[in-house]
Amino acid sequence: MRILSPAIALIGPLLMASALTPVHAADMTFERALNANKEPQNWLLYYGNYQGFRFSPLSEINTDTVKNLKLVFAVALGGLQSGGRYAFGNLEGTPIVDDGMMYVTDGWGSVYAIDVSGGTKGAIKWKFDPGIDRAWAGDVACCGVNNRGVALWKDRVISIALDGRMFAINKATGEKVWERKIADPALGETITMAPLVVRDLAIVGPAGGEFGIRGFIDATDLNTGQQAWRTYTIPGAGEPGNDSWKDGQERWKHGGAPVWETATYDPESDTIYQGIGNAGADWDPQYRPGDNKWAASVLALNPTNGAIKWGFQYTPNDPFDFDEISEHPIIDAKVNGKDRKLVVHAARNGFFYALDRTTGAFIGGKQYVDKLNWTTGLDPETGLPANYDPKSGVQVYTPGTHGMRGEPLANICPSHFGAKNWEPTAYNPTLNMLYIPSIEGCDGIETVAQKDFADQGGTLKPRERFSGGSFKMTGRLYGSLKAIDPTTGDIKAAVRLDFPNYSGALATAGNLVFLGQADGTFTAYDAKTLQQAWSFSVGTGINAPAISYSVNGKQYIAVLAGSRQSPFVMQNDPSLKYSSTTSMLFVFAL
Amino acid sequence: MHVVLALIAALSAVMIERARAQEAQSAEAARTIEHGKDIFKTKATCQFCHKWDASGDQGYGGNALSLRQTKLTPPQVAETVKCGRPGTGMPFHDQFAYTDKRCYGITRAELGNDVPPEPNAFLNSDEIDAVVKYLFAKAIGRGPSTYEDCVEFWGTDTRQCEPMKP
Repeated sequence: MRILSPAIALIGPLLMASALTPVHAADMTFERALNANKEPQNWLLYYGNYQGFRFSPLSEINTDTVKNLKLVFAVALGGLQSGGRYAFGNLEGTPIVDDGMMYVTDGWGSVYAIDVSGGTKGAIKWKFDPGIDRAWAGDVACCGVNNRGVALWKDRVISIALDGRMFAINKATGEKVWERKIADPALGETITMAPLVVRDLAIVGPAGGEFGIRGFIDATDLNTGQQAWRTYTIPGAGEPGNDSWKDGQERWKHGGAPVWETATYDPESDTIYQGIGNAGADWDPQYRPGDNKWAASVLALNPTNGAIKWGFQYTPNDPFDFDEISEHPIIDAKVNGKDRKLVVHAARNGFFYALDRTTGAFIGGKQYVDKLNWTTGLDPETGLPANYDPKSGVQVYTPGTHGMRGEPLANICPSHFGAKNWEPTAYNPTLNMLYIPSIEGCDGIETVAQKDFADQGGTLKPRERFSGGSFKMTGRLYGSLKAIDPTTGDIKAAVRLDFPNYSGALATAGNLVFLGQADGTFTAYDAKTLQQAWSFSVGTGINAPAISYSVNGKQYIAVLAGSRQSPFVMQNDPSLKYSSTTSMLFVFAL
Repeated sequence: MHVVLALIAALSAVMIERARAQEAQSAEAARTIEHGKDIFKTKATCQFCHKWDASGDQGYGGNALSLRQTKLTPPQVAETVKCGRPGTGMPFHDQFAYTDKRCYGITRAELGNDVPPEPNAFLNSDEIDAVVKYLFAKAIGRGPSTYEDCVEFWGTDTRQCEPMKP
């Protein structure tokens, strides 16, 4: 009889386990999410951290070395199929990286687990295809077939699909564990945002502000795959704020206020900050007199039960389609010599806002976009537009800047696409600089009196467009990247870009800011001066923000590329007329 | 008798040939219409603005007109597809439009900001012809679209037509 030594007896089961079990990263925990900055080699959360910084602490690639940055590998992805109103899907996603494994999505919601640990190639280990009815979902996607990424939870990948479903996927194998239907394309609802996971809850909301939805924020208990809570972004009858819909015909039930970009989270106060989209119908404010809460706002909520702590509305009775869905970074800073807990926002309406994140009180705001004509400024006390009239149901901001029934084409600056649309900012905490990728220029708004939905006595059926008119391009838009001091809103540096910006920024401890453009130019800027430090053309439009990670101590920059810009956005820009889309991951290193 | 039989045979042959030609022509016409549908649906994505049934729409496709109700003739529709509509959101689809005076006798420089937008895809003259034939066969001059129209456009592998089901 052979006798095993005690050491072998102890290690034996371990050896067996490692032989049988695929090697994989540690489970994703709330602790790891709270301390994401302690794992600079990984990009664990949508914004890199809960606070919304999109900042990598890695610095191997820096202002001195970036000149040697080169493409090290690329991976072709899918999702180019047509569906509904669209000829192909786009890539707008933020890759998530955990211990040399990258998780990315394509526009139709397929998830790819890519082994990037070798540093010379990306090997797709599995692909999960949610199997979407593309015509059904794509016909009610307002503005493209998009998916902005996944979240990690325990040993699972949490993803969403345009048709409103959420999935829990086995991180090692790509097999679906469960799915839950959250939003319903039958009502014009779709989901495009990356989930925010706080503890055991995944929080998302629906797009559909152009299809007459009533927006909501929804949490799924990831242990059960069941709903934990849902908070409507438009208060119901009898709830505070419902009286800000003064039409008397319950139009709040189709009033929009969608949610399509991930919230930030403040662990200290256990609060999420969710940006809320436009009121519907977009361009017919006479259809919906009143401030229309909480459209074009930010809501602070308890992530455990969805209770609203406070709300701040940027553009009451929004006549422009100024969604404020985009990120709300959380910054602690001295303002006028006082320590303040801020939540900040580079708004689609052209102003930068700093709010007290405990109370929602307005602290300061400043115009950051080149041209702004719809108001004369912000009220220094309330932060409301200077020409907001509390006694008026239908706001008449600067006349001629927004559509009114029977009036000629309005001219709005920034354009209705916004000074910044969904594309996220990045924040360098060491330099205390927020980098805003902007859309500059103006366009026109044509109001058409909105028809009622069939359930409110009209003829409009669910899934039909509900926008009260349209927009009209009146000139070429361009872009910019601006570095601002978030405690003052002062612009410290700026660079003009040839194209309106539809990607997002990445800041790094190497004092660089990375940004992609519609013509495929991928550029690193000096974080202090915004002078170009390096540039590479991937040859196809970039609509996604970059991230950074490292493997075995070597730093990488990764970005998804694949989009063709809307003809409306690119009007009068013949240089892009032969551009083609693709679906690619590009990874760079020194 | 032989002459009569020969005549009958010759006539039959001509008729069969004619029928075959007509069949070929209608098969060709059907292929053209199907090609036009593919352009309308996917290549040029006309339906993004005009809606799948060409009944017109609003929102992120612009205030697009109903083609079902248009009074334009086939050459006029073809010209609009080729050249777009200056000052509106209707794109041009001839890749050389406004580089010379082929469209309405005007150039890009003369139109300034009123140049129609770039299209989702450029179309050659055969493709423009196909999309016009598709529109006149399936949309223009017809009343409101039906469930059957919807199924014909989207197929049966989607829920897309469920809301229209009688």
